[in-house]
Amino acid sequence: MQIVRADVVIVGGGGAGLRAAIAACERDRELSVALISKVVPMRSHTVAAEGGAAGVVGGDDKLELHFDDTVSGGDWLCEQDVVDYFVAHCAEELVQLEHWGCPWSRTPEGNVNVRFFGGMKVKRTWFAADRSGFHMLHTLFQTSLKYGKVRRYDEFFCADLIVVDGRVRGVLAIEIATGEMFLFDCAAVVLATGGAGRVFRQNTNAGTVTGDGMGVAYRHGVPLRDMEFMQWHPTALPGTGILITEGCRGEGGILVNKDGYRYLQDYGLGPLDPWPRPKAMELGPRDRLSQAFWHENRKGRTIQTPQGPAVHLDLRHLGASKIHERLPLIAEVAETFMGVDATRAPIPVCPAVHYTMGGILTDGRCRTPLEGLFAAGECASVGIHGANRLGSNSLVELLVFGKVAGEEAAACARAASRGRTDDAERIASAQATRLLAMLNVEAGARPAAIRDAMMDSMESGVGIYREERGLRATCERLADLRTRCRRGILLQDRSRAFNTEWLSAIELIAMLEVAEAMAHSALARRESRGAHMRLDGFETRDDVNFLKHSDALYQGDDPPRIEHSPVTITKSPPRARVYGGEGKQAQL
Amino acid sequence: MSARQTYTRPVAGWWRRNPFYRAYIVREMTCVAVIAYALELLVGLGRLVRGPETFEAWLTSLARPWPIFLNCVALLLIAYHAWTWFEVMPKTLPFISVGGRRVPDRAIVASGAIAAVIASLLLLLAFLYL
Amino acid sequence: MVEPRTRNIRLECLRYAPGIDAAPRMQAWDVPFTDDMSVLQGLQYIKDHLDGSLTFRWSCRMAVCGSCGMQINGVPKLACETFLRDYLPAIRIEPLANFPIVRDLVIDQADFLAKLESVQPYLIPRAPRTLAEGPYRQTPGQMDAYYQYSQCINCGLCYAACPQYGMNRNFTGPAALALLHRYNSDSRDAGKAQRMEVVNAEDGVWGCTLVGYCSEVCPKGVDPARAVNQNKIESTKDYFRHLLMPRGSGSR
Repeated sequence: MQIVRADVVIVGGGGAGLRAAIAACERDRELSVALISKVVPMRSHTVAAEGGAAGVVGGDDKLELHFDDTVSGGDWLCEQDVVDYFVAHCAEELVQLEHWGCPWSRTPEGNVNVRFFGGMKVKRTWFAADRSGFHMLHTLFQTSLKYGKVRRYDEFFCADLIVVDGRVRGVLAIEIATGEMFLFDCAAVVLATGGAGRVFRQNTNAGTVTGDGMGVAYRHGVPLRDMEFMQWHPTALPGTGILITEGCRGEGGILVNKDGYRYLQDYGLGPLDPWPRPKAMELGPRDRLSQAFWHENRKGRTIQTPQGPAVHLDLRHLGASKIHERLPLIAEVAETFMGVDATRAPIPVCPAVHYTMGGILTDGRCRTPLEGLFAAGECASVGIHGANRLGSNSLVELLVFGKVAGEEAAACARAASRGRTDDAERIASAQATRLLAMLNVEAGARPAAIRDAMMDSMESGVGIYREERGLRATCERLADLRTRCRRGILLQDRSRAFNTEWLSAIELIAMLEVAEAMAHSALARRESRGAHMRLDGFETRDDVNFLKHSDALYQGDDPPRIEHSPVTITKSPPRARVYGGEGKQAQL
Repeated sequence: MSARQTYTRPVAGWWRRNPFYRAYIVREMTCVAVIAYALELLVGLGRLVRGPETFEAWLTSLARPWPIFLNCVALLLIAYHAWTWFEVMPKTLPFISVGGRRVPDRAIVASGAIAAVIASLLLLLAFLYL
Repeated sequence: MVEPRTRNIRLECLRYAPGIDAAPRMQAWDVPFTDDMSVLQGLQYIKDHLDGSLTFRWSCRMAVCGSCGMQINGVPKLACETFLRDYLPAIRIEPLANFPIVRDLVIDQADFLAKLESVQPYLIPRAPRTLAEGPYRQTPGQMDAYYQYSQCINCGLCYAACPQYGMNRNFTGPAALALLHRYNSDSRDAGKAQRMEVVNAEDGVWGCTLVGYCSEVCPKGVDPARAVNQNKIESTKDYFRHLLMPRGSGSR
């Protein structure tokens, strides 16, 4: 086994990972940073994010407003002290990114432009056309090239954490091109591995979004917090789940059912006019919009497409020049994948799983309960999204908490004493042997069969609306699928070099564990809050019993144990979550 | 990183594999026609310097079937050569904006080609009537 | 709308197993498809149901991550936005040209990444600027000067298209030079002089003979051919500047 020594290891080369790498180097110029990613960094899923990143810059806006929008958007399940820190640091990170070259869209005078986004009272979303994530990621990647102390290990798959005496000592990784095992011996690890949306069938996520880091932390005793809160993005292409940005609605796009009726007015998001208007109608929060779709479908008012039920996102009234200037990627995507010209016809859309609100438990400084382990980005639950994330909060989260994680990891590495690597090597070798044994399994289930069964079960039991029978069925199915995996996954590819079938089987095991955490957390939460909605007698929010986080704790082969922990409430006591209503016409 | 046994495919014959490449090679080869015609003109200049009879004799020698045919072929190839120059001209120019809107590449190519045609016609008329 | 019927197409893929195969070979499968299926989905069908060892890169499925570049019937394309319905009755899929093959449809991108890094692709400002000073002012007109060059998704199709890169691996190449030009054209950047060495080199812009196929295949309209050839003018100007002022007039 090859051994690489570094002070800080960062797993994941997306927005959070790259920002952490830069921050670690800036914090401590002597430290060596190893950035491990299973894909070359610019392929990370940050690249696909479209809409924008929120930050208060003054004018009509105040930090309290961003705080309020975020906490109410999260249905009061947010760690309010962390949200306070977050909103105070968004704008400076966005300015930093601009200094590094990010091409934020501008007003005619040359200032950074901002737009409305779902669930936000004031225009504060910075955007780079409709490819914000793309530009942010490329800016971060290109900037990271200035830092000689960051050594990149592209296409290295993180298979496990190496924990010795309750402390993280390294990472076991597979060099994908050769199948060779590497032990990264280090003093601090930052997980920035992204979400787990691929456990569902209909999702906007890339193939890489399989919850690897969540699985790895979870197995070593770190709780996965608030896993039942999955965000359905209301507008994705039916079938593929390709994302159609909320920015369309921020620019004034509308959603209509098969009768051409703007149905959101029936779900507490109206009245219709004036339009556009923040926090109302199509600019309501994502959970409400996805839930409205579910109801419309139940009532038979959705349009039937060959890829499933959909509603229409109509952009025609925006005019061709605005569409091509502000939403060029959307126009391209609609044309390429659906054959629809957005200037002439509405785009069929339906909800698809988009974001994992929950994740690896961290405090406000990105520290997990496991010493030496940090987490940032979608894989972490730092406490800002609560039960529902507002659009444009997650891209800026990567920057704010990527930086925090990098700095904290650097400080930890500087303070840590480095011991001998014997124990770490021994543990790593044993784990490596187990992973390699997967290549020699003679009989077992095919990965695609298990994956399909998992995705279908999650879609039906842990969907937009949940009830006990469906949740229990999914929990049983997942336990059964995990048993089948333990008996053996049959691979057709037995080679070591670039064996993506083997890697996807390893990912599948993590996905099943994460899916179990989601299903069991959902079953245990007997209320409806944010993105977790129930139909079986628990249709309302229950602050008395459930103003608490869910913590899923790994129990080995057995299903997870779900515990609950308190929520930090500082300035904003829970109130009713209200959207729509009266309001002024928004100036776009 | 560990050593890998990658395979490098041979590049020979690359230009045969794609119509775009074949057109590129034809474009590059038209320079042969340009050089040949330039040499012909050079020879003609040399004959002119030696006197009117030598020049007339040279012109007569060109009026035979094969020279006419070859010169026509050269004309076609050089016209294509000129056209391909205009085709790539936009790539050599910075963005041009007129009235706040960017001038599309096709407009640049078209105006170049039209200008060339007009200039050629004017020259032809000048030779015929002056 | 889209036809839900299923037809069959013959997918022929290049296979190469390092250490086992001496040279690549072709293998074919019959794949059922609906009209909205991409080539990528066809490959996923083969991997899931017919041959789990078929290896290819993919990620976003929406032509923004740049992972799935391949030669499709000899033309470099992104597999996720190329559709099987356009290639009946048979389609040939090979790894991107001009790159060494690691395995099956996966190429070695190390040189490509090295070329990107060689052009110092980050903002080199005129003077340090504190966060408190806020963002630079940049008008939409100033952004227009570089924006299209910033659209590169690093998919490598342009390197597969470029015969000069195919014949000479030292050529800096289209995407790297376009990225260089992106920063040189950004009003906030002052690093042009530092990047001239790469531009002026024999394997810099002068390695380009304006074949132009790179811009033809680029899925994002970056137009690298233009970026490279703009810099031929810059390189020439730079040459004469240094000729006339040989002591180096503070441009370094």
